[in-house]
Amino acid sequence: MADFSFTRRRAILLLSLTSVILITMDLRGSSVINFARSTFGVVFRPIESATKVVTRPVGNAWNGITHYNDVVKENHRLNDLVAYSEGSTISAIASVREAQELLSLNGLPTLAGIASCTAQVVGQSPSNFTQTVEINRGSECGLKVGMPVLNAAGMIGKITDVYNKRSVVMLLTDPGYSLAVKVVNIPAPTTTTTVAPGTPVGDTTTTTSTTTTTTLPRVTTTTGIPGFVPGVTIATSSTSTFAPLPGEVTVPTGDVGPNQPGKSTSSEITVPPGLDVPLRETGALEGRGISRTPIVRFVENQPRFGAVRIGSPIISAGGATSLAPPDIVIGSVSRVVNRTGTLGPILEVTLAANLKNLNFVRILLYQPSSERVVAP
Amino acid sequence: MIDQVLLFAENRYTRLVLVGLLVLSLQTTVFNDMRPFGVCLQVMVLLAASAGLARGSDVGAIAGFIIGLLYDMVLTTPMGLCAAVFATVGYLAGVGQSLVYAPTWWSRMLLGSVASAIGMILLPIASTITGATGILNAHVLFVALIVGLFNAVLSVPAERLCRWALTEPAAAR
Repeated sequence: MADFSFTRRRAILLLSLTSVILITMDLRGSSVINFARSTFGVVFRPIESATKVVTRPVGNAWNGITHYNDVVKENHRLNDLVAYSEGSTISAIASVREAQELLSLNGLPTLAGIASCTAQVVGQSPSNFTQTVEINRGSECGLKVGMPVLNAAGMIGKITDVYNKRSVVMLLTDPGYSLAVKVVNIPAPTTTTTVAPGTPVGDTTTTTSTTTTTTLPRVTTTTGIPGFVPGVTIATSSTSTFAPLPGEVTVPTGDVGPNQPGKSTSSEITVPPGLDVPLRETGALEGRGISRTPIVRFVENQPRFGAVRIGSPIISAGGATSLAPPDIVIGSVSRVVNRTGTLGPILEVTLAANLKNLNFVRILLYQPSSERVVAP
Repeated sequence: MIDQVLLFAENRYTRLVLVGLLVLSLQTTVFNDMRPFGVCLQVMVLLAASAGLARGSDVGAIAGFIIGLLYDMVLTTPMGLCAAVFATVGYLAGVGQSLVYAPTWWSRMLLGSVASAIGMILLPIASTITGATGILNAHVLFVALIVGLFNAVLSVPAERLCRWALTEPAAAR
């Protein structure tokens, strides 16, 4: 009995020690572990492929039973979406080309200048706690750990493991995912300020483009610059004595827009080009698991940036240390959780890409400038 | 030389590795597609629990370790993490079985289910200990419940499979 207990204790101790050693080696990036995984992959892939062929009818039957209604609904929705998108696609392509030309002319980096590799998703992680997919391209295609992966809709994740002919992609929803992003705040709806004839001196009526009528108190301002009234961004002589609502941009009446650089208006103030260019603020996108949407933290609470609107686009920020180049579409703001004090809001993000139905993906062969090896 | 090869091929743990590879291929294909309530079914943890139920806690721990190691090869979690967790699952299933007087098919089913659920709770805990963040939340309990329920259904055939695989070579002959 004593021998038996000793043997049992020794076996358990041995198993525990082996586990700890293996975990430590893997966490420290041991090449032995990587080699073992890679070799196992080579041996296991044929078995897996054969099993996939054999069990496909079972999987299809299961999906037919459980997802038939969803597929029909999805088909109807996609038909509508295709019809809706066809018209706008051509103009969108033209806009993107123009934007890329402009960026190139100004010597700014564009996504078009980054080489890429197309791959197909061949499997997803069988775990409930990590969100990864496997693709059928690896180091033979020039892939490296950290490279961004996107599909037609936008970014889906980054490469975390690279083998010879396959790679593992960590999805944006994985709790371990983090990326610097920009929040492009949609400008507030433009407000047209008009002075109704015969309005009493005390109050003024402002008619907004959303047909809301508000009564504003009269504001008395003083300035030493002729024709300039503080608080009014652009003003004609007839409306310059009334301050706009906070966050609003007033425009002159008539057909002259507020943002037409180079065009002459009756205003005494020169309009700087790009006045209503959407404001941007950076933050960090973090995944929260498959059942929850990713969030953006560390968005500064700046008065100039204003309140973040639902639907504001989220794009990658780029930078010397970021693993992704700038301006890759990630998604849009679906919910804003405001916090007290100087803490910025937390933004919940609806991803542009549908991570449940991934097939072909594109890996940008991009490395941040801080990680590029400079040739001697 | 041939005798040694035959002896190795007849070893019960060699048989377990072959069975484990087969089940792993099922795990990464058909059970990966079938996700009832959004939860990926875990037959590898069931295999570890069944080994404990079939051959006791000692063999269960070693078998669980081997099965976990196979699973670690295809996951992105640190190597050895599933091995440690599955070894615990196999050991606990064996201990649970030894505590039951005159075990029946339904008691084994219950034990397989509970051991699988415990494994599904231990796995995110172990991942958190090794540095993973954001996975230890209430969703873990839901995953454990679903995995436990479905593994209860499959536990009887899985236990028979493990009983066959872990038979001593002499007894098999």
